[in-house]
Amino acid sequence: MSTPDTGAPAPAPAPVTQPRLRVDAINTYYGDSHVLRDVSLHIGAGETVALLGRNGVGKTTTLKSIVGWQKPRTGSVTLDGEELVGCDMMSIARKGISLVPEERRIFNNLTVAENLKIAQVTAQKPGWTLDHVFEKFPRLRERLTHKGDEISGGEKQMLAIARALLQDVKVLLLDEPTEGLAPLIVREVENVIREIKSAGITTLLVEQNLYSALAVADRCYIIDQGEIKFEGTPAQVRTDEDLRRRYLHV
Amino acid sequence: MTPATATSDAHPRPPRSVLSADVRFALVTALGLVLFPLLLHPIGGYAGLATQILIVSIATIGFNLLLGYAGMLSYGHAMFYGGGGYVAAILLVRLMPAHPNLWLAALGATVVTALLALAVGALTVRLYGIYFALLTLAFAQMVYFLIEQGKDWTNGDDGIQSIPNALVALGTWNIDLTTPLPAMNLGPFGNLADIKLWYVFAAVMLLIVLLFMRALNRSQFGEVLDAIRENEQRSVFVGFNASAYRLAAFTISGALTGFSGALRALYDGSIGVANAGIDRSGSFVIYAVVGGVQTLFGPVAGTAVIMFLENVLSAVTPAWRLIEGLIFVGVIVFLPRGLSTIFKQRQKNPYAVFKRSLALPTEEPDPLLKPTGEARPGGPTSIIETLKLGKSFGHFAANRDIDFRVDPGELRAVIGPNGAGKTTFFNLIAGTIAPTAGTIRYKGRDISRVSGTSRVHQGIAKAFQTANLYTDQTVRQNCRLAALASIQGAFAPQVFRRSTRLADVDALAERAMSRLELTGVEDVRAGDLSHGDKKRLDIAIALATQPQILLLDEPVAGMSKDEARKTEALIRNLSLEMTVLVIEHDMEMVMGLSDSITVLHQGTVLATGTPAEIQANPRVQEAYLGGHSEAELAH
Amino acid sequence: MDALFQALLGGLVLGLIYVAIAVGLTIIFGTLRLVNFAHGAFYAIGAYVGLVVAERIGLIAGLIAAPIAVAIFALILDRVVLRPFYEKDPTAQLLLTFGIALVVEESLRLIFGATTLQYPLPEFLKGSATLGPIQYPAYRLLFAGGVIVLLLLVWLFIERTNYGLIVRAGIRDRIMVQLLGGNIRRASSIVFAMGAAIAGLVGAAASPIYSVDPSTGFAFLVPSFVVVVVGGLGSFWGAVLGGLLIGELQSVTTLVYAPASQVIIYLCMALVLLFRPQGLLGESEVIRQS
Repeated sequence: MSTPDTGAPAPAPAPVTQPRLRVDAINTYYGDSHVLRDVSLHIGAGETVALLGRNGVGKTTTLKSIVGWQKPRTGSVTLDGEELVGCDMMSIARKGISLVPEERRIFNNLTVAENLKIAQVTAQKPGWTLDHVFEKFPRLRERLTHKGDEISGGEKQMLAIARALLQDVKVLLLDEPTEGLAPLIVREVENVIREIKSAGITTLLVEQNLYSALAVADRCYIIDQGEIKFEGTPAQVRTDEDLRRRYLHV
Repeated sequence: MTPATATSDAHPRPPRSVLSADVRFALVTALGLVLFPLLLHPIGGYAGLATQILIVSIATIGFNLLLGYAGMLSYGHAMFYGGGGYVAAILLVRLMPAHPNLWLAALGATVVTALLALAVGALTVRLYGIYFALLTLAFAQMVYFLIEQGKDWTNGDDGIQSIPNALVALGTWNIDLTTPLPAMNLGPFGNLADIKLWYVFAAVMLLIVLLFMRALNRSQFGEVLDAIRENEQRSVFVGFNASAYRLAAFTISGALTGFSGALRALYDGSIGVANAGIDRSGSFVIYAVVGGVQTLFGPVAGTAVIMFLENVLSAVTPAWRLIEGLIFVGVIVFLPRGLSTIFKQRQKNPYAVFKRSLALPTEEPDPLLKPTGEARPGGPTSIIETLKLGKSFGHFAANRDIDFRVDPGELRAVIGPNGAGKTTFFNLIAGTIAPTAGTIRYKGRDISRVSGTSRVHQGIAKAFQTANLYTDQTVRQNCRLAALASIQGAFAPQVFRRSTRLADVDALAERAMSRLELTGVEDVRAGDLSHGDKKRLDIAIALATQPQILLLDEPVAGMSKDEARKTEALIRNLSLEMTVLVIEHDMEMVMGLSDSITVLHQGTVLATGTPAEIQANPRVQEAYLGGHSEAELAH
Repeated sequence: MDALFQALLGGLVLGLIYVAIAVGLTIIFGTLRLVNFAHGAFYAIGAYVGLVVAERIGLIAGLIAAPIAVAIFALILDRVVLRPFYEKDPTAQLLLTFGIALVVEESLRLIFGATTLQYPLPEFLKGSATLGPIQYPAYRLLFAGGVIVLLLLVWLFIERTNYGLIVRAGIRDRIMVQLLGGNIRRASSIVFAMGAAIAGLVGAAASPIYSVDPSTGFAFLVPSFVVVVVGGLGSFWGAVLGGLLIGELQSVTTLVYAPASQVIIYLCMALVLLFRPQGLLGESEVIRQS
């Protein structure tokens, strides 16, 4: 394993055991604009880690860089020690990294049942069973025959997460799961994330909604202007008002 | 072949008489046209081929105006080519058999095909890609059908023969175009005889058409056509009527092709229905692509190469059409800009490095400020107001029941969590999308159904969330296009005048650039700018349209702290002169900058008030915190 | 009356050919966003391969060889030439596939000559069937039935199989399919080869009905594009509806006023494009994307 470049904010000392997912000093560009600068983070097996930051500071790009959607120019991303940079999106997904994207990306022309089916069809190894999914997301069972564009925003989010869980997911990446949802639905989605956590699934949670994230995370990172500015515990973020003012919205 | 003189005109040069450049161009081209048959003869071209190539080149030039400059692939240009031929033939044979007048016939054909193009274009120019190609094909097939079936006029499948084609009147003289030119001895290549005076006539016509196209390409019209091809959305939102420009291009294109068809029918002395057929339409595609679209001489080169293959190679090998097809595919795969580009130097503006802004601070009134005479803040008239405004996408209501009102001169921030519908709301005001409910009033008038382009001219300008630029043009050209739209209006078919003659366009563009502190990068390609400069250029473009309301969608997103603060100061300055609406997530900036704030949440207005009021509003806190209270956070 | 019935049956056979080509065009457009002007070439290659193999070995062998040969040709084309153009401007795609169609047409002309060829039916297929008031060639009825079965199989593949599910999902969102680990590239190749094979098979099967010459590809391609536009680009049932409509329209017009039989379909397309540009069963979204 390579050590991160100098110039990056001092990374936390590597944990004793190899982390499940390790992002090491990646630099990602959109055309000419340098969006991620030496971003490094790691997630241990079973951990729930939050990546916080304002809009447009590189949170989504970090996730896209991990799954090969936006390829980093330099740096490395490893899953259980296996290098992912250079692999295409499909093979990274097949290795067990599942991104639930910001826009949910439900197949609107397919029914809810078909949206679930396709996740099973493309799975390398099955994850949760359908029954298990319906137990956790009872509302999806009621909507099976509805088309993707006929369900509510909250149901779309549940469906998007359910799709990921139907596969044998090693690391789950959730991009702003509570975005644009009514407060009541936000609570529901938070409960789902707690369920995922208690099921022992390794999760990287990207949130703008600070309080949703702090409620479930074991550890968190704060990113600003494409650089990781802070690594620590939710408690630290809660108590450090200056930190919140500087990098987050309140 | 003629040298590609067109390469030299892309950038401002040291001042030299425009006339001399044009005369030089004409002389060099004329020389090429004189040499052309002499070069064609030794490689096997028969006597009439040179003349035919020049005539058909005119049609290809017309076709290329659409494909190369307007970016539209027509698959129906045979309707103009064949149509022009038939009109000329019918005029001569039926209407003036006693006193054939070739000028009148060609002119009549050109006018008729221009009208045909205007009518067909009016129905087709709103479509793109395959839809446009197929619809033009459909109209061409209808014209073909009319020609084939209109036997009384066209003789159906037999075509029209024996068209009088000898005498063309020039002043009081009647010149016999069938007079052979004196034979020339080309030494080892034998005698070049049998070239008729027709060649000279065709060469003069082609020269005139080339001069016209050269002027058009560099004119204001050509500039706007280029801009629309490169980025139609941006063009519409600097205030150009894209459909009108397309229609004008289509009409000119049709007229040129019709003129060419008429000349060809006259030269051949006969015309058949195949001239209006689908294969004819396809041939223009091949000529233009092989020669090189977006070049002045490409269509001539392509026509010459392919017509040479068709007429000379066909005698040598049966595989000539296969060779033609392979050349065509090869050009698309390996030389997407056509054969002409081989000869073209890769050009970068050599002056850009040395240029510094000449913009001087002026004491004159700021040209960006339109005299408006509107009420000041607090007056009875709002500048923009929405009533129960809504927009649904299928089952999803992105905006609903938005009541919103801004006074003139105000700086209003629109904030809200992601997905609250802020960008949709801006798009409704700018006219990018149409509302599904409610009304928008601008200075008291209902503009809900007014197009985005007219809103720009009325004074509503928008900078895009992701900078939306003409990436292949310089910063200055970007701003000049917006200034041009603002000064010349949505549609100004100036096919001869160059926009560089318009001093106020330059002044406006310079002002916009200096207001956004883009001095020093004016001649950099927009696509090569840094992220922050791109965002500022987008605002400068909006500013060059002389807005009264400026909509800024996340103007500092993705900028570094320093850049963001700098841009914030620029926005504050702008807000002294116009109404500014801004979407922004940077709360520090929002609170410090805005006069008032509207909070959107789940597609509707949650609260409106001063920064202090908004900060204190518990409902706003809740929306942002996703249903958690501060107390919950503390535990 | 009999003549009309005859014309309607003829329109059905012709329409089914259009449907078969148009379905290929439309699913290729749906999954790859490729406007394929070379699709008619698949029909022509299929017809020639079918003809040659049928004359040497037999009709059945021809019907097997044609789709296989065309599918292989399509896969090579996909890998070697087309792939870099998938992300490009539709006009570039149109030009390229137009050029490929030219090359195929001329290659066929060089190999087989410019003359019109027609496969003579074997004796046992020469009979005719009594259909109500009229006699109709049995092979044509067999052909129509075969094409309907073929279309049904294609529909089942798209609607009922796992691959079909990936294809349909990919029509909407290629990225998400890959994020779920789906192999969109392979699914696309399969769709491309399948669309081509359908055209090739129908070309071979139709060669005893409609004679073949090198320009056959273009001759069927253009009406098939009309069909796709009328029905709605990207819509399976649009292609079916459009194909039958155009086939019948052409056939009946031939009966009423033969010279107008070509122009009528363009008139029909122009009207559809002017008043319902997304096509009869198309979604307006497709227009914006293409």
